[in-house]
Amino acid sequence: MGQPTFETIGAVKRYDDAFALGPLDLSVPSGSTTALIGPSGAGKSTLLRLLNGLVWPDAGEVRFRGRALSRAELPAIRRQIGYVVQGGGLFPHLDALGNVALVARWLRWDEQRIEARAAELAHIARLPPDALRRFPSQLSGGQAQRVSLMRALMLDPEVLLLDEPLGALDPMTRFELQQDLRDVFARLRKTVVLVTHDLAEAAFLSDRAVLMRAGRIVQQGAVEELIRAPVDPFVTSFVRAQRRAP
Amino acid sequence: MTALLLALAVQVGSKQFTESVILAEIAVQTLRANGTPAEHRRELGGTRVLWEALRAGQIDIYPEYTGTIAEEMLAGERDLPGALARLGLGMSDPLGFEDNYALGMRRDVAERLGVRVISDLSRLPNIELGFSNEFLRRRDGWPRLREVYRLSQARVRGMDHQLAYRALRSGDIQATDLYSTDAEIRAGDLALLEDDRRAFPRYQAVFLFRAPLPAPAARALARLAGAISAPEMIAMNARALIDRVPEAQVASDFLREKLGLDRPVASAGLAARIAQRTAEHLFLVAVSLAAAIAFSLPLGILAFRWRRLGQVALGVAGVVQTIPSLALLVFMIPLLGIGAGPAIVALFLYSLLPIMRGTHAGLSGIAPELRESAHALGLPERAVLARVELPLASRSILSGIKTAAVIDVGAATLGALIGAGGYGQPILTGIRLADTGLILEGAVPAALLALAVQALFDLLERALVPRGLLLA
Repeated sequence: MGQPTFETIGAVKRYDDAFALGPLDLSVPSGSTTALIGPSGAGKSTLLRLLNGLVWPDAGEVRFRGRALSRAELPAIRRQIGYVVQGGGLFPHLDALGNVALVARWLRWDEQRIEARAAELAHIARLPPDALRRFPSQLSGGQAQRVSLMRALMLDPEVLLLDEPLGALDPMTRFELQQDLRDVFARLRKTVVLVTHDLAEAAFLSDRAVLMRAGRIVQQGAVEELIRAPVDPFVTSFVRAQRRAP
Repeated sequence: MTALLLALAVQVGSKQFTESVILAEIAVQTLRANGTPAEHRRELGGTRVLWEALRAGQIDIYPEYTGTIAEEMLAGERDLPGALARLGLGMSDPLGFEDNYALGMRRDVAERLGVRVISDLSRLPNIELGFSNEFLRRRDGWPRLREVYRLSQARVRGMDHQLAYRALRSGDIQATDLYSTDAEIRAGDLALLEDDRRAFPRYQAVFLFRAPLPAPAARALARLAGAISAPEMIAMNARALIDRVPEAQVASDFLREKLGLDRPVASAGLAARIAQRTAEHLFLVAVSLAAAIAFSLPLGILAFRWRRLGQVALGVAGVVQTIPSLALLVFMIPLLGIGAGPAIVALFLYSLLPIMRGTHAGLSGIAPELRESAHALGLPERAVLARVELPLASRSILSGIKTAAVIDVGAATLGALIGAGGYGQPILTGIRLADTGLILEGAVPAALLALAVQALFDLLERALVPRGLLLA
């Protein structure tokens, strides 16, 4: 596997009230698909945002490909890390293509290259081509999520971070998009870190899971390991609670 | 070329009352007839404004009264020409008439009571007097009159000058103060009481100018020495105020009859007048608004980025907004003098708050996940601002600019008070002459312009605000 893509070493993030995240020691192997799971408020999204510098640790450090993140390099590093924010985060003033091509246009890609790449991504993400000319308010929830995924993939980053990518979708769309996401991950072979509170979804989409609770990592490893060899009673009860759901 | 000529032209100012406007017009036409380019800066305001403008070199000449100079500007100076010379100013020979304070009565009442001179009033302690508020208050007005003539009337009322004339005619009061060249005297039903003990200072009409006046201009003004008698001035005031003849025409007719100067007045038609004022008005609004956008848009962005600075900047702009526009304009005079400059600065200050607030509110209203998305994509700060934040805030920014523009169109009418021109000019003149038609000539275009600005910004919103935002 070589060098891990992400490492957090004793990373701590404190908030005004008593709540603090960490210290977190996490290693994300290159090429793996990792799910951050846990109940809401466990700090999954915060950990994800530590990885691309949207949240800055108060202590400890975050390394990307072996180098500690530095604020000066953040924009350049982030262009190598695709990020799908919770809810999609599409810009309402731009149409779907405008959202997908925002950074490429800023980097002055020529229009032909942009269109070709967008068409390719629409195919991968299974977005109807005519949807590229629609504004976010004219897209369905599933389509918006696909556009958001395309936007994250536009510069062909090595890494993809997804925060609850299937969060607010209806069950049908959710099921469909789950399948498509798995295909995309398999096809593109990127390092993926995604946040979900659903164990089944984690098992379906990823090979590794990181279970969090109250700002701490409880257990990390293969998903089956969490089920087979829980390290403490919380893991057991979390797994059991998820099993009871249909 | 025209602009250059205007800049070189002798600038003649006038105060905001009819006699001053006519005298300035007479000076301008006389100068022009003698080959000196001259321009009339009409109705700039009161004595203080004209005096400061003259000293600052923004005007070269204006009509004034010796009594006013002695009592108000150079109080305590015995040698007026000497004191003026030390300030770099000069005074022309008297024009002939005096515009003194005087007391007037209805001719029939005066005859019945046997009153001819002011001394006669001391015999009539029971008559009722009505004075203009200024006359009641001024040191050289009622207080001095009472002292010099030992008047003991108990029934003394303060009232508006115009109302005093009406009260006099209807018999509610028996005597009032007036100016010895008031237009009302022409009607012939008023008796002027002679100031037999010389209580009032003498208000000889003169021109004040910046010394030295170029020789041709000095020669031109010299032709007016002693040229205007009191009855002639009364007649001219009455033609302008009562017959509604434009001052330029009144002056031109007088100069033709008296000095044989035959220069037809080029009176612009209604359309040309409105076109010129529209140009002036738009100039004030456009320049001040452009400067305000260039200044307060970045400031609004900074105010959003640094909250502490933002609170201070918005607070200061808010305080500026509460200053009444008239006060702000007057406040500008000692700093920037008269004309378009200070008016533009005042309008600029008024535009700051709406634009800053619109920008600040627009940026603050952006959902945090959108801002986070923009950063997570790897766009640097400037690109986030230019490609995401400003477009998302565009509606709010534009509505701030629209508010500022509409405020400016209204407030710019006050610019006429300090000689900035625009739609305020006919409104101001209309108020002075109690001419509703003239007031409407300014007020209607101003209202239409405000509507046009609204409509323009509605179009701009469609053009500038991204279509995706208008769908929602």
